[in-house]
Amino acid sequence: MAPWLSRFWVSLSVGTTCLTGTLMVHAAEISSPTAAEVAQQVDRLILTELEAAQTPLAGLANDEDFLRRVSFDIAGVPPTPQQVTLFGLNPDPRKRTEVIQQLLASDNYGKNWGSYWRDVVYLSATNMRARGASTVFEEWMVDQLNQNRPWDAIVTDILTATGNIGENGATGLVFAHGGEAEEVAAEASRIFLGIQMQCANCHDHPTDIWKREQFHELAAYFPRASVRPIQVDGMQRGFEVVSVNQTQRNPVEAFRENPERIVSMLDRNRDRKLSKSEAEGGPMGQFGRIFPRLIEIGDTNKDGMLSVEELRKIEPPMMPGRGNTEHYMADLKDPSSKGTLIQPKFFVDESQPGKGLSDLERRQAAAKAFTDPENPWFAKAIINRVWNEMLGQGFYMPVDDMGPTRSPAYPEAMDTLAAAFVAHHYNLKWLIETVASTQTYQRQVRPQSVSTDALPFASQTPTRLRSDQLYSALSTVLGFSESAQPARGGMMAGGIYGGGRSPRAQFNQIFTFDPSTPQEDITGNVQQALFLMNTPAFRNAVSATGNSRLSQILRKYSDDQDAISELYLLALAREPSDRELQVCQKYLGEVGSRGEAYEDLLWSLLNSSEFLSKR
Amino acid sequence: MFQAWQEHVRLNRQGLSRRGFMHAVSASAIAAGTLSFRDVVTVRADDLRRQGRSMILLWMQGGPSQLETFDPKPGHENGGETKAIDTNVPGIQIAEAWTNVAKVADQLAIIRSMTNKEGQHDRATYQLHTGYIPSGSVKHPALGSNIAHEIASAEVDIPSVVAIGGGRGGMGFGGTSAGFLGVDYEPFQVADPSRLPDNVAVANGEGRYRRRLGLLGQIEQEFAQRGGEVVVDNHRRIYDKASKLVLSPKTKAFDLSDEPQSLKQQYGSSSFGQGCLLARRLVEAGVTFVEVRHGSWDTHQDNFESTTRLAGEVDPGFAALISDLKDRGLLETTLVAWMGEFGRTPRVNPRGGRDHYPRVFNAVLAGGGVKGGQVIGASTKDGTAVDHDPVSVPDLFCSICHSLGVDPAKENMSPLGRPMKIVDGGQVVSTLFG
Repeated sequence: MAPWLSRFWVSLSVGTTCLTGTLMVHAAEISSPTAAEVAQQVDRLILTELEAAQTPLAGLANDEDFLRRVSFDIAGVPPTPQQVTLFGLNPDPRKRTEVIQQLLASDNYGKNWGSYWRDVVYLSATNMRARGASTVFEEWMVDQLNQNRPWDAIVTDILTATGNIGENGATGLVFAHGGEAEEVAAEASRIFLGIQMQCANCHDHPTDIWKREQFHELAAYFPRASVRPIQVDGMQRGFEVVSVNQTQRNPVEAFRENPERIVSMLDRNRDRKLSKSEAEGGPMGQFGRIFPRLIEIGDTNKDGMLSVEELRKIEPPMMPGRGNTEHYMADLKDPSSKGTLIQPKFFVDESQPGKGLSDLERRQAAAKAFTDPENPWFAKAIINRVWNEMLGQGFYMPVDDMGPTRSPAYPEAMDTLAAAFVAHHYNLKWLIETVASTQTYQRQVRPQSVSTDALPFASQTPTRLRSDQLYSALSTVLGFSESAQPARGGMMAGGIYGGGRSPRAQFNQIFTFDPSTPQEDITGNVQQALFLMNTPAFRNAVSATGNSRLSQILRKYSDDQDAISELYLLALAREPSDRELQVCQKYLGEVGSRGEAYEDLLWSLLNSSEFLSKR
Repeated sequence: MFQAWQEHVRLNRQGLSRRGFMHAVSASAIAAGTLSFRDVVTVRADDLRRQGRSMILLWMQGGPSQLETFDPKPGHENGGETKAIDTNVPGIQIAEAWTNVAKVADQLAIIRSMTNKEGQHDRATYQLHTGYIPSGSVKHPALGSNIAHEIASAEVDIPSVVAIGGGRGGMGFGGTSAGFLGVDYEPFQVADPSRLPDNVAVANGEGRYRRRLGLLGQIEQEFAQRGGEVVVDNHRRIYDKASKLVLSPKTKAFDLSDEPQSLKQQYGSSSFGQGCLLARRLVEAGVTFVEVRHGSWDTHQDNFESTTRLAGEVDPGFAALISDLKDRGLLETTLVAWMGEFGRTPRVNPRGGRDHYPRVFNAVLAGGGVKGGQVIGASTKDGTAVDHDPVSVPDLFCSICHSLGVDPAKENMSPLGRPMKIVDGGQVVSTLFG
């Protein structure tokens, strides 16, 4: 390798000195097909169908477009102008493979996909307190991804996590739903299996084969995972995910489940009623603590005591996720009754871990069932997500609603990827390298055909940058460092949870969208447009005076054609077309003031749809 | 409506998404004449009736104590130290801190028998905004977005849904987003009512701004030709809307500076009071739904001091809003609702606070055809239960829909192709409308 090339690779592989970037291959995987081989197979399968349907193919993307896309897709950042130029000049035919591997080896890979998973998990959180902990989950995820821990190990950790939510990021999913079994089950299935069962919460699924009972059998893996406040010296210090097994029953639940038993246990004077002192005589005083509350809501005859009849009628406020040690399927005709006791059973293979298991036994059984190589949905769900993220559309759409009765585009290509991914022990970097290596991924975007039911993947599609990617792009183009950027003016006041947030987090509050949303539904909004057009936060950075990136360019390039090209390379990672050069030069002539005209040009580039998109 | 449908279809990369398809079915039912001419005329008449209707929600985040607001219990131990005062309606008393609201009680319908089960802030906030309990997989549209989706006029330059003041979580969180209805009905956030919304003001003058938009339009052509035309088209639509907001004279509605000083004072100097004044201006300018947020009513300790202070912030704005709307002839077409996510325990806890209590709470409606000067339902003497005429969250939402001419049973299609009613269940509380 020529010395200048080595320098280039070093500068490109952000934060690493790994020059070859070849993925580590375990001895056991040597017999498995390589990323390049699988990519070719997938291309062939897709091509066969496209040709049979006589769909015209888009050509391969040029180097500029490929480099910008792959940099965003893998590392979440745009290439610098220097990287774009050098990549174009590099004659090595293997350069695309090498850049893919370089990007996967950079720490930005984990950051990019870590923020993706943060959004997947937390933008559906039903427990708003959990949002404050999203960073802990994200950082944990970044770490897992950069270590390239296998996907089944990561998911197992998430499904079985316990502990302080501020310390163990793996608790993120359970905490995001306040430990409520039905929500955790529904989300675990949606996110990790691509199967939406929650409709079966209340009735048999209207369009799928799932029965109501099957959903509740899945929820029955999770009733003992509970979210509890951590008390230190009587003050609340955060939350933890704990296993609630038989011994730590919630007294309110105990009352509800069997009031006769509780009363006969505590009723010392045998008047079939509980007084305050009798309640306080119970084990650990736990009934005494809740007695005043129970009197308040349940003492209908106002005698200051609670009878069995009164206890039975108490409907405590719903406290989901707390204290239930078994899962009950609600009786729809009598919602206030306890419902039917349901035992865990996995809907895919109907395996049953057994009855009366502890929390960890149940959740480990769930993790085992989810990640079993025989469970086809586990591998397909992550492949579908990665493919969707990198090609703007999954084999199955919507990305998190795959089955069981949907049929994907190119089922054989999906099967091929799934088999190889399992053979590679759920190696995520291998999967992303494979997708990025396909010609299908490397095609260019092109003007849309009018046909609405054309097969997908005959060309790449423009897709919107995620909020974190956009923020990284802005910080690269405008040259501000993340820590130095002041959080003032123009940013939306964050409300109760907004205080003390980083500029990136405030930016995300305006620009984030759920990555499970189909691309055609991600259109941006007025608030985002106003921010990009008018925020005072960027006013200095887009100015042609001072020491901004723009003023540096204007000082360095007195020739306008050079300056315009540099600005295009900086903002869009490509050279301007001849037409664009003409438009810009004409504009410069009309405005008169060089500085003002370039400020307007940079403003226009940052507000262009191309800047907001992967192309 | 039909135009909106066409637009939706045009915007989809694949022509028809699953959601678009469901719209297409109903639209083609009209096209194919499944609906008779008379039906179409009836639909139009309905449209006319709803025209110009709007709603202002005064949201009390944290769960306001019913006993320190509109259901005081001065004679009972549970009532604590809070006294009751007379209002301008004989027989109706409210808590003592609400002196200004007491003077407009003849316009208010006080519901003292709200009852619900959600006792956790997030879940209850979500439910009292959407009518649904939260679910990870469906993002239910907030009621305000649903209402705007049904009745907002397409011709107004400024957003149809506006939220004023910081709220729990912020945009898109806690059931205050448009959910699956999409960006057109996403609440436009105004953090501070005393100045223009963030980023609406241009930095370098209007002329330069227009010039830049012109250059942007030219620059966009390249990407459109290279395969980005759908994205470019979408982007232009959003930027058109945003620049309308920047350039439209209607955006003056966000600027309180030309309101008379005396009126500003009447609304009160608190951010909430100014928010109420802004809400009135926005309704005048054609905005369909405005939420003014106030917090925090989560008075687990020092309930009595805190609620006195909080009421002092809310009372002038609430009362001034009612009388101002009335003076301008807007109260008939504007529904004002005051509520929070739940009530608080009748029993005072050892820290002088009250804890969460969804079993009994209160809400107030005014305007929009609601008969004022009345109390709906009651709590028991000790305040621990609803005594008669319980009103559930769906009942309240159905009543709100009724006031605005919206059919609560209308179904919109969720992304998974599941039809979702605007309100699931519930009945209009008919006594509200006399």
